[in-house]
Amino acid sequence: MTDRVVQLVEDILPGIPLQVVSQGAEAVVFRTGVHPYTAHPSLTNPNQFIIKYRPSKKYRHPKIDASITKSRTAGEVKFMHRLAKAGINAPNVVSADFKRGLIWMEHLGEVLPSGEVSSFKNHLWSVERTRSPDECVSEDIQRICEQVGQLIGQLHHNDMIHGDLTSSNIVLQKKVPYLIDFGLSSYSGLAEDKAVDLYVLERAIQSTHSMYAYKYNQWLLKGYEAAYGTNKQNRRKYVEVMGKLEDVRQRGRKRSMLG
Amino acid sequence: MTVDLDKRLRPGRDYYLALGLEGSANKLGVGIIRHGVGEPGPHNSAQVLSNVRDTYITPPGEGFLPRDTARHHRHWVVRIIKRALADAGVCGRDLDCICFTQGPGMGAPLQSVVIAARTLAQLWNLPLVGVNHCVGHIEMGREITGAQNPVVLYVSGGNTQIIAYSRQRYRIFGETLDIAIGNCLDRFARVLKISNDPAPGYNIEQMAKKGRHLVELPYTVKGMDISMSGILQYVDVLAKDMFSSTPKKNKNLVDQESGELITPEDLCFSLQESLYSMLVEITERAMAHVQSNQVLIVGGVGSNERLQEMMELMVNDRKNGSIHATDERFCIDNGIMIAHAGLLSYRMGQTKELKDTVCTQRFRTDEVWVNWRDD
Repeated sequence: MTDRVVQLVEDILPGIPLQVVSQGAEAVVFRTGVHPYTAHPSLTNPNQFIIKYRPSKKYRHPKIDASITKSRTAGEVKFMHRLAKAGINAPNVVSADFKRGLIWMEHLGEVLPSGEVSSFKNHLWSVERTRSPDECVSEDIQRICEQVGQLIGQLHHNDMIHGDLTSSNIVLQKKVPYLIDFGLSSYSGLAEDKAVDLYVLERAIQSTHSMYAYKYNQWLLKGYEAAYGTNKQNRRKYVEVMGKLEDVRQRGRKRSMLG
Repeated sequence: MTVDLDKRLRPGRDYYLALGLEGSANKLGVGIIRHGVGEPGPHNSAQVLSNVRDTYITPPGEGFLPRDTARHHRHWVVRIIKRALADAGVCGRDLDCICFTQGPGMGAPLQSVVIAARTLAQLWNLPLVGVNHCVGHIEMGREITGAQNPVVLYVSGGNTQIIAYSRQRYRIFGETLDIAIGNCLDRFARVLKISNDPAPGYNIEQMAKKGRHLVELPYTVKGMDISMSGILQYVDVLAKDMFSSTPKKNKNLVDQESGELITPEDLCFSLQESLYSMLVEITERAMAHVQSNQVLIVGGVGSNERLQEMMELMVNDRKNGSIHATDERFCIDNGIMIAHAGLLSYRMGQTKELKDTVCTQRFRTDEVWVNWRDD
C-alpha cells in the first residue's frame, strides 16, 4: 500500500475520511462514513460506504492507461446498474467519476475474527485454518458454495459475464454471497464465454483452496445447475454451457507448451 | 526447511555434481552445476561450473521447424557436451547424475537430446533425472536471485504462465488462453521480416526503442489469463497494408495527433507496450490474489528490459515489493537450470529408470512434486 495512491485520492476527495480496506491489482478500495449527497441513504448499511479508486498505472503508456481507466470504470458502473435491475446480489452504486476512475458504492460484508474482510476466500481459509477437516466440508460450507454457484447461474442466465471470478471476488454478508469487482465484466449469450467464466473460477478454487477444491467445485456447479431451473429451454442452455466447460478444460490441459 | 537433501551423498565427498541437457526448443544447452552438502540457501549457493549453449538460428521470415531443429541438436550435442566438461574441468565419472528436459517442448528436439542423455548415463553408469522445463526455470531463477517465495512470471517462446508455490507444487494461476508471448513476438517478427539473429524478441526490443507513436491494439485480459491471438491478427492486417504495393487507406496507419505515418518501429513499440502491460497486469493480479510481494521473471522473454522496467514500476507501487530477474545466461533456455532442478530432485531420490525416460510434449508445471521444498 503506497502513500502515493492514498495521496491521489485525498487530492480528489478533500476532507473525506478514508480508510484503506484493500489494495487489489488494479484498484484500491477505501471505506468511508460519508455519503456524497444525502444524509439518509436507503442502503443495507447506511453508515458505511466503499470508494473504489483506479489509480493510473505508471507502467502503462499514458494513452493505454487513460482508455483502460475510463472504459473499465464506466463498464463496471453500467454492469452494477444492470445487476441491480436483474436483482442479483451485488453492491449498489452511489456515485461515479469515470475519467478519474472513482466509484462510490454500498458497503457489504463484515470483519472476520481474524481481522480480514468476510470474503468467500477468507471465510474458507479461516475455516480451513481453525476447524477440523470435517468442518471444512460441512453443510454450512456446502450451502454457501451452492448459493455462490446459484448467484453465478443467475448472472449467466442474464447473459452477463463477470470475467474475474475468484473466491476473493465474492463477499459474504451474514453468510449470504454477493458478487463484487466487475472491472473485467462483459455481456455475452455465448455458452463459450460462460464456460470460460466458470473455468476461471474453477481454477482459482483449485489453486487457492487446493485441499477441498474437488468438493467446493462440485457444490458450486450444483448451485449453478439449480439456477437454471427445470424449464426445458433453460435446461438446454445449461447443458450447452457444461459441454463447453468440458471443452475449455480439455483445451487448458492439452495446450501445447513449447520452448 | 526440514527436508533432508543429503541421502544420496557419495562417500568421501562433500558436494554433488550434475550435468544438465536442455533441448526443448531451438536452443541446445549443456551445463554443469555443483551443490555443496546441506540445505541450499544464500550461504550455500550452487556453483555454475559451465554453461554452454548453441542456438539454431533461421533466416528472417522463417520459424524453426522441429525436424531441422532436432538435426541441429544431434549435430552439435557431442561437441557442446565436450566443451561443457572441459570448461568445468570435470570428467564423466565425477558426476552424480545426468539431468535432461523431459518436457514440455517440441517432440523431435526433445527426443534427440534425451538419446544423448541416455547414452551418457550408460557410458558412465549414472542415474538419469527427468526435469520439467518450467520447474527448471523457476528453480534456477530462485537460486540466482535469492527470491524465497515469489510469484513467478514465466514468459518464453512457448510458455506464458503466472505461477506461485503452494503445498509442494508450483501452481499455475494464470496463463495464455491461446498463443504464448514469445510465439506472438516471433510471428510478428516474421510478418515484418525482422531478423532472427540473435533472437526476434531482442530485435523487436531494439526497434521499439525508436518507436514514437502508439497504435491502439486490442487489450485482452480475462481474470488472470490473457489472450494474444487477437493482437497478432490485428497487427498482421496493419503490417500487410503497410507493405502492400497498392497502399489502401488505413486510418490506423496514421497517427491521429501528429498526422505522421506509422512506421514498423512504431508497431514494435505499440506491440511491446500492449503485450507487456497485459503481462504486468495479470502478474499484479496474481500477487494481490496470493498476497505476495515478490516477483520473479524467468524465461527468454524475461530478459526484455522494457518488461523488467514495467514490472519494476508496478512492484514499486506495492508495499515492500521486490522484483527479481536474471540476465540472458539464465533467462534464455540453458542446460544449467536443468542440471540445478535435476540435482535437487536427485538429492530427494527422484531418479528415472531407462524405460521411464520417454519425453512428453505436454508436461504441466503443476504435475511435478516439489518435494525439496516444504514451506
